[in-house]
Amino acid sequence: MAKRSLSFYVLLVFFGLFVLFLYGPMITIFILSLQGPDGTLTFPIRSFGLYWLGQVFREQRIGNFVEPFGRSLLLGLLVMAITLVASVLASMGFRQRFRGSGVIFYLTIASLIVPSILVSLGIGIVFQVMGWQTNWFSSGLGAHLTWTLPVAFLIMLGIFNRFDHAYEEAARDLGAGDLNTFWEIVFPLIGPGLLGVGLLTFTLSYDEFTRTSLVSGQDNTLPLEIFGMTTNVTSPALYALGTLTTLFSASLILLAYLTYLLVMKRQRT
Amino acid sequence: MWKSFKPYALIAPQSLVFALFLIFPLVMIGVVSFWQFNGYAMAPDFSLDNYLGIFTSLVTVKTYLNTFKFLALVWVVTLLVGYPVAYFLAFHVPRLQWQILLFLLCTIPFWTSNIIRMISWLPLLGREGLVNQVLMNSGLIHQPLEFLLYSDFAVVLGMVHLYIIFMIAPIFNSLMRIDRTLITAAADLGAGGAAIFREIVLPLSAPGMAIGSIFIVTLVMGEFVTVRLMGGGQAASVGKLIQTQIGSLQYPLAAANAVVLLGVTLLIVVSILRVLDIRKEL
Amino acid sequence: MGNLSRRHMIRTGLAAGAFLTATRCAAPKGTPNNPATGPEVNANKAKDVTLRLIGTGVSQINEIRDKAQKDLGFKIEMRALSTEENNQIAITQPGQYDIFDGEYFSLPLVIPSGNLQAIDIKRVKNYDKIVSFFTNGSFKGMPVEKSQGTAPFKVQYLKGSDSKEFSPTPTEYATMIPFQYNADTLGYRPDLVGRKIESWGELFNPQFKGKTSILDIPQIGIMDAAMVAESLGLMKFGDKGNMTRAEIDKITGILKQQKAKGQFRAFWKTFDESVNLMSSGEVVLQSMWSPAVTAVQAKGIKCIYAPLKEGYRGWGGGIGLSKNLQGMQLDAAYEYMNWMLEGWVGAFLGRQGYYSAAPETARKYMSPEEWAYWYEGKSAAKDMVDPFGKTLAKAGAKRDGGSFETRFGNIVCWNSTMKENTYLVQKWNEFIAS
Repeated sequence: MAKRSLSFYVLLVFFGLFVLFLYGPMITIFILSLQGPDGTLTFPIRSFGLYWLGQVFREQRIGNFVEPFGRSLLLGLLVMAITLVASVLASMGFRQRFRGSGVIFYLTIASLIVPSILVSLGIGIVFQVMGWQTNWFSSGLGAHLTWTLPVAFLIMLGIFNRFDHAYEEAARDLGAGDLNTFWEIVFPLIGPGLLGVGLLTFTLSYDEFTRTSLVSGQDNTLPLEIFGMTTNVTSPALYALGTLTTLFSASLILLAYLTYLLVMKRQRT
Repeated sequence: MWKSFKPYALIAPQSLVFALFLIFPLVMIGVVSFWQFNGYAMAPDFSLDNYLGIFTSLVTVKTYLNTFKFLALVWVVTLLVGYPVAYFLAFHVPRLQWQILLFLLCTIPFWTSNIIRMISWLPLLGREGLVNQVLMNSGLIHQPLEFLLYSDFAVVLGMVHLYIIFMIAPIFNSLMRIDRTLITAAADLGAGGAAIFREIVLPLSAPGMAIGSIFIVTLVMGEFVTVRLMGGGQAASVGKLIQTQIGSLQYPLAAANAVVLLGVTLLIVVSILRVLDIRKEL
Repeated sequence: MGNLSRRHMIRTGLAAGAFLTATRCAAPKGTPNNPATGPEVNANKAKDVTLRLIGTGVSQINEIRDKAQKDLGFKIEMRALSTEENNQIAITQPGQYDIFDGEYFSLPLVIPSGNLQAIDIKRVKNYDKIVSFFTNGSFKGMPVEKSQGTAPFKVQYLKGSDSKEFSPTPTEYATMIPFQYNADTLGYRPDLVGRKIESWGELFNPQFKGKTSILDIPQIGIMDAAMVAESLGLMKFGDKGNMTRAEIDKITGILKQQKAKGQFRAFWKTFDESVNLMSSGEVVLQSMWSPAVTAVQAKGIKCIYAPLKEGYRGWGGGIGLSKNLQGMQLDAAYEYMNWMLEGWVGAFLGRQGYYSAAPETARKYMSPEEWAYWYEGKSAAKDMVDPFGKTLAKAGAKRDGGSFETRFGNIVCWNSTMKENTYLVQKWNEFIAS
């Protein structure tokens, strides 16, 4: 890779344009969230200030961001925990052939490819017909799992496929039980992968809208609350919220990246 | 005994979740699609009216065609844009740390609420939006471009922006796994860049493209939020049709439409899977 | 053995219970386990009551909630939904709300679901102060008395306390207590339209091709469309509020034509969408809600809520009680209802352009200048400021359409749930999808 070919520069420009395309709207809302109290949802900007960023933490005219944020955070963590446990278990189950594994595999794929709105509609109908109350922590949680579990499971399968079984067998030869082998050998090896999967799962849940839309019950998750507010609110507080959540996610990603670098370093030494 | 039972115990939690929140709901949708709607509630029944309504309506056909149109456009654009991006990351960025950092850079916007990301197009693309202002001020155009917002163009743009990462990630993944010695060997044997790409890189990244395509199919087929917000409520899609029916409480009709949608989606996905067994590729 | 131990268990249980009761009685007055007797009990318990409201963004406003909690002493949770979701939850999720704050046109669907209980009007203090059109269908002999569609009065009463049938004449059992309503019409940007808009027919005027919008809620949008079609002489209706299938076919056919011609820029479903469409200049003429017009004006953009020669399309909102309410909670709900009619809320909403069901009580909370501007149609003696501190009208401005009487009195049709509602929704969806 010493000499850079023409294709490098062409692709570099292409990549740059792509990033611009990705970030264009983000930059727009970032600028628009830095308006003074007389700001509107569109250009031109009349004055600059931090007014709307502050507004996010205040009570809004309709609804508010803080409680749904807490709810989404908690739900994200719950989903992450359940997804990690279930997908690690399931992918370990898949390391040996068993009858029906094909069915389970395609069921997992199905969970991924069934259009989201169907999942929401289906769970909604089930709860309605059964006379149960929908809630973000019951039906909502289930809807999220149908989305995060297959993603996590497929990634975990990939991780285990590239996994050196020698260590494990060595441990077993030395007389370690299943549980011991797992905690002493397997877990440390898949640890970095789990971190990634966990983060991904959390985001998928934190952002999920469609699958939750019909089954969140009486308390909204953050994306639903935002949607609800867009239908009633016309202030740049929305943009400010977008800016803040992006910064929040960016710092999460940065944190994950630094952890990753640290792990790599330690593995090398 | 435990050894043969173990895999079942291990997959039990995950399968339970799917049974409860996927299979059971889908079965219920199937059941309800034969029910009747009495104006404010659904009533158990066995009637084919809902399906008859769907298959005899010209609107359904049109709506499906429109959805396919969105799907085709979004698929082509995400593939054509996503592939070079993934290729650049995998082959032109020197070190692993940098590759990961740049890849993460691409994912950050995907951590913001989809809704907010869509709303943020409005100040850019609107009739009095930034793009039009810039173009008008530079004298390139004299009338604001109206197709930028509330049009099929806007819907496709919005979807590409929302979903392209689902195309990039699997392609990037499969490109990263190509054995670099293969390429060096081919180059040593005198193969040119184009030949290497055509004979080695492209076939080996096909699984990534297939997985990405599956994601795009499923995301776009059920899509309704983008269609509504970016299309100004004028554009039609199957997801939106179902959503409107749910909105007016016509659950049985919505369920019947959902069954048809599921069938169509599965058909597309299965045909992609026929070309390629993704289980081998993991 | 099993039997014996069970009996033993019961005996021990009883003893334990008795013991517990005894200690409870012995405990000092006022501990958490043993609240003091007397009227305080109610006061204490009332504070524990929580009322969950669902409604649209029009009235699910945090300021109203805070004021109510302060005045009434119990907890109120509000949930702002779109018109569609609101009805959906009212009908399908009765466990999710205690008070339904909805529109009259949804009642023909909500009432048969049995999710609301009849309101005993004897317990509603200011019921007699409510505008007569709601309570007995009369309004000074003005056109509104003959208005078509789901007029509030037609669905105001039930035949009995357990009935699911509407009574055409007043009874003691109300479906909802109204508290806000308005006369809707077309809004337009005078700077971009360049002339006065005086007829519904203008919505289909080729001059505004690609710059108009219509409301995408079937029961409301169809009425706007009907007004336009009638005004242009494109078709006639036997009863706009109760169209036949043939009429629905014809009107949606006309709409499809207009859509294919590119007459519409967008369709809107929610309040903010209409505001954004108008203030961003995407649309210059559209069907609109009054506070949306004021919201556009508050951004410093000129927007007129056109009084049209054919008359207005009315809508009315009120609150109904969930069938699940009983005891303390039911009492609290009635308290809330009385509080709504007491005037503070009326004035609060009045300052945004809505009308209160009991205008006289709202008047107490408005300044004479405000009353003159919003209700009497006089020019503003000073700047009109909304409850959120935004100036909506400069001194000297007049409310579009004039006084309460001329606006409300000229409502000719209401948002409607027709007998053919299911068919309408289906046809409407076809139009949107076409």
